[in-house]
Amino acid sequence: MKISFSTYQDTSIWRFFSSVRLAVFLLITLAITSIVGTVIPQGESLQFYLERFGPNLFRTIKVLHLYDTYHSWWYLALLGLFSINLIICTLRRLPFTLKLFRRDNLSVDFERLLKMPFKKDWETKKELDNDSTRSIIASFKKVAGKTEERDGVDGGRLFLAERGKWSYWGVYALHGSILIIFIGALVGLFLGFKGSIMLPEGETIDHIINRQTGKRIPLNFSVRCNRFNISFYDNGAPKEYRSDLTVLNGDKEVFHKSIVVNDPMKYRGITFYQASYRAIPEITVKVSNSDKLQRSLSISAFQKTLWPEEQLSFGLIQYQPSVHGRPAAQIWIADNEGRAGNIWLLQGREREFKQGEDLYKISLTNAKQRYLTGLQVKKDPGVLIVWLGCTVLIVGFAVVFWVPHRRMWLWIGHRKGRTVVILSGQTNKNKLRLEKDMKKIEEALNSNLGV
Amino acid sequence: MTFSSSYLFGLTTFIYMGAAALYLIRWIFRVRKVGLLATFVTIGGLIIQTVGIGLRWIESYQLGYGHAPLSNLYESLVFFSWITVLVYLIIEWQTKQRVIGAFTTPFASLSMAYASFNPNIEDKIQPLIPALKSNWLIAHVLTCFLGYASFAVACGLGIMYLFKNRFSEASGALIDVIPDCKILDELIHQTIIFGFLWLSLGIITGAIWANDAWGTYWSWDPKETWSLITWFVYATALHARFVRGWTGRRIAYLSIIGFVSVMFTYFGVNFLLSGLHSYGSQ
Ligand code: HEM
Repeated sequence: MKISFSTYQDTSIWRFFSSVRLAVFLLITLAITSIVGTVIPQGESLQFYLERFGPNLFRTIKVLHLYDTYHSWWYLALLGLFSINLIICTLRRLPFTLKLFRRDNLSVDFERLLKMPFKKDWETKKELDNDSTRSIIASFKKVAGKTEERDGVDGGRLFLAERGKWSYWGVYALHGSILIIFIGALVGLFLGFKGSIMLPEGETIDHIINRQTGKRIPLNFSVRCNRFNISFYDNGAPKEYRSDLTVLNGDKEVFHKSIVVNDPMKYRGITFYQASYRAIPEITVKVSNSDKLQRSLSISAFQKTLWPEEQLSFGLIQYQPSVHGRPAAQIWIADNEGRAGNIWLLQGREREFKQGEDLYKISLTNAKQRYLTGLQVKKDPGVLIVWLGCTVLIVGFAVVFWVPHRRMWLWIGHRKGRTVVILSGQTNKNKLRLEKDMKKIEEALNSNLGV
Repeated sequence: MTFSSSYLFGLTTFIYMGAAALYLIRWIFRVRKVGLLATFVTIGGLIIQTVGIGLRWIESYQLGYGHAPLSNLYESLVFFSWITVLVYLIIEWQTKQRVIGAFTTPFASLSMAYASFNPNIEDKIQPLIPALKSNWLIAHVLTCFLGYASFAVACGLGIMYLFKNRFSEASGALIDVIPDCKILDELIHQTIIFGFLWLSLGIITGAIWANDAWGTYWSWDPKETWSLITWFVYATALHARFVRGWTGRRIAYLSIIGFVSVMFTYFGVNFLLSGLHSYGSQ
């Protein structure tokens, strides 16, 4: 295993893909190419680009998918290369890190201890009795922390206090987090969907339309908008858009939530966001036929209203809130044989119309605004993975830069007929702190040794 | 009302301009005593500005809107200068290098001056539009701006580095007080690390917020994309140390390029490109 690994490592392709040089190149390339999609509007129709940029630039835009830069083949290829770079670099460095991690820091010798970046040594002619040895060790442990011990190291006792060895894995967590985020994004792309609905107040829907594919996606439950409400500040700026939603399972109400922007409804992994609204007029008319059969019907835009007994359909063509101070509406009337006509109504004035052989009377009794709430609907099982990646990124980053791997040694033994005590230390971060701690131990040992 | 937040902000603008002038005087004419004065003036400015920000927060409640003063371009400029001064003072305290002030306080005073004197910037307290009503607003703006402020300082340090590097042969009063290239390089690195952490947190909190508000944590809107571009630039700077031949000078350049990218993320996107972020439009 080890052997095959090292032969891998020496091929130049392996080296190229694992190099930080490539990483730097890719980071710069990504930074520069990402600008494109912020300058060229994204996601418009091809016609738009032809008109705006002319035929020459249009060709480039089309070939390079600059109308959707961040999902273009070359951008995704860059991200793919970036991931490969990251993976191979990680694999390549893993054995070194393992070696560092497994290194036995008690197997140092006298000479090495004296060459450490931080060190202090004492020599005395007198023998150390048990008590003072013990208090020296205690002083060391008190500041340096948990220690390991080994006897007979160059004829002395060696103590090691090691901290933060695991921090070598921080950079792996950090780089791995980028991959975790990518995985989360892919999961969302393949297992999730995004859609939107316009739901009139009082109505229920059991499916949504996929924004990308235009396909129907059944929800397996239905959602009713009980009420939509918009409120304003005194200065006329919008203050709040609120939709009151109920989830129904068959006829049973199973969940209820009133949503606003920034506070969506979540149900069975699907999230409903307040996105927009539309107000449409809705009028009420009173119609009667020659047999004095009378009906009150609500007619709103974009929807046909049926009068079943007479086989008549009504639609709203135009609505004017005020004609001579009164609401007026133009409505469309059709029968089941395809004959259709339209008529203007003014509130308070009854009119007649003829459909086939029959004569009807109609009047406009009421008019009001009816709201449709615009909901974004999303399912993204990858989001949690993305949040996990983000957490690992931040934690990894903090570990890389702020958790030091620090080692402190204490050696007590004999050299050339003298008692020698060596204190030394090494750290890869926060040298100041180590210096301070060394100073503390040094002072304690000074008094222990009676210097 | 004289003792209002806008009065205090106006005062702050002049104090910061004074502080920047003092730091420059100290650097150019090497008058040591002026340095201490500069620090005191800056601290005084920071205190007055802090009171101003608190007051503006209170005033927004009095108007019945009740939101943190982080809701439009004017407030964000004030906040940017506040946090830049704060980050600088911490660095001054840690490194005891007042000369850095000559390269960083100008950013803070420019930001205040721009906020106060540009007639196109609406400085009235406005109600929050529905999209900004979120607990994430404060977390997002705070983290982003801590990043921006660190990068402003890193940029100042980068300029110092290039200055020192360029004229390193010619020793003279101006050059000698600038710390060694080695020290500057380390400082730039440290500041970028600090900024990078906050920028990352800023991007993440932004993503969480976007997910709450629009249902997508990432929609490649120009502001998001530019923050990612900025993030790439600083990631480059962090890795450049591991590539042979990429010495301090390139990292100094990167700290300046990175800050240009920050500025574009902050202003350029609002004024030149269109998107979902609404700060600059007022
Ligand atoms: C945007 C994505 C990336 C981020 C945010 C990132 C972040 C970091 C950070 C913060 C460090 C620590 C730097 C230091 O200790 O001064 C680092 C080190 C490193 N990065 Fe990355 N990195 C990214 C991508 C990559 C890629 C694609 C490679 C591929 C070669 C890579 C290779 C390395 C190496 C070799 C180190 C040095 C590790 C060590 O200290 O032992 N990084 N990275």
